[in-house]
Amino acid sequence: MKWIKADLEKYLQEKKYIDTLLVPLLPISFSNDPELTNLAYKTNLLTTLSNELERELAGRLFQTPPYFYLEGTERSKEIERLNEWIMDACKQPFKHTFIVTHDMSWKKNEQALTGTLLWIPSLTSVDPQADEYKTFIRSQVEQLVEFIRSYW
Amino acid sequence: MNEKKQQVSRRQFLNYTLTGVGGFMAAGVLVPMLRFAVDPVLQPSSKGDFVNVGLAVEDITSEPQRIEWQVVQEDAWNKSEVTKVAWVFRNDDGEIIAHSPICKHLGCFVTWEGSEDYPNEYFCPCHDGRYYKDGTNVPNTPPMAPLDEYEQRIENGMLYLGDPKPRGEA
Repeated sequence: MKWIKADLEKYLQEKKYIDTLLVPLLPISFSNDPELTNLAYKTNLLTTLSNELERELAGRLFQTPPYFYLEGTERSKEIERLNEWIMDACKQPFKHTFIVTHDMSWKKNEQALTGTLLWIPSLTSVDPQADEYKTFIRSQVEQLVEFIRSYW
Repeated sequence: MNEKKQQVSRRQFLNYTLTGVGGFMAAGVLVPMLRFAVDPVLQPSSKGDFVNVGLAVEDITSEPQRIEWQVVQEDAWNKSEVTKVAWVFRNDDGEIIAHSPICKHLGCFVTWEGSEDYPNEYFCPCHDGRYYKDGTNVPNTPPMAPLDEYEQRIENGMLYLGDPKPRGEA
């Protein structure tokens, strides 16, 4: 399920079956020229990954729009806001929350988050049209499906 | 020659004009009819198109295999490349079957033998929905309908798939 009207209409009828929340966690920043393409590339990769994951598990997983944070801001502020976001979503009957990111610095703050943080290794320069990219996405998605299933 | 003989008579003039105008009118009626008759040939192949999924017919076994292919999907504002998935095998009668992986319960992807507890069945990871090999939903599991089947066509030994259709319509 995604944050779009058609899916939400279905969600409202079937919410007892949809108990898992997926939050893509993405950094953004315009301040450092050499980093821009890199950040965009990772945004793209994580978006593709979580879209594919949602597609596989559409009947039980709700993918929220991405949570964007400013790269380099103080984490405590973001953690507070992200938790608030998730707490609000959990007014619906969600039992599991998974937060996916390529940014390993979140690992340090894992305990403070209201949800299970999943750090996913990123690629750096593989062309999204290349087979290697697709194989990577496929294998990550397969493993993530297994991982999430172990919580159900 | 007498100049007068070369002039067009009133009768001839009327004949020529009426034939000409009548011909035009007849053509005006007939040409669109001809177009209707051959219309399917002129249709650009876009919607409901069959796509070569990169699987040779000889490689299709009785064991369902997962295949993927890319199609460009256009809706009102977005043009995006979408990966389509099918489970393809030959059934006991030798017919090729291409099942859509989309669970009829709430739309997760099913996997052939996706659970060790249920060999020889499709399994949905979300709510333990199950289907027999022919796509029929196993009674007392969440799905209420059999898996969809892709429309298919074989050209030059390659498998082409179209749109998924509820079983019985493909």
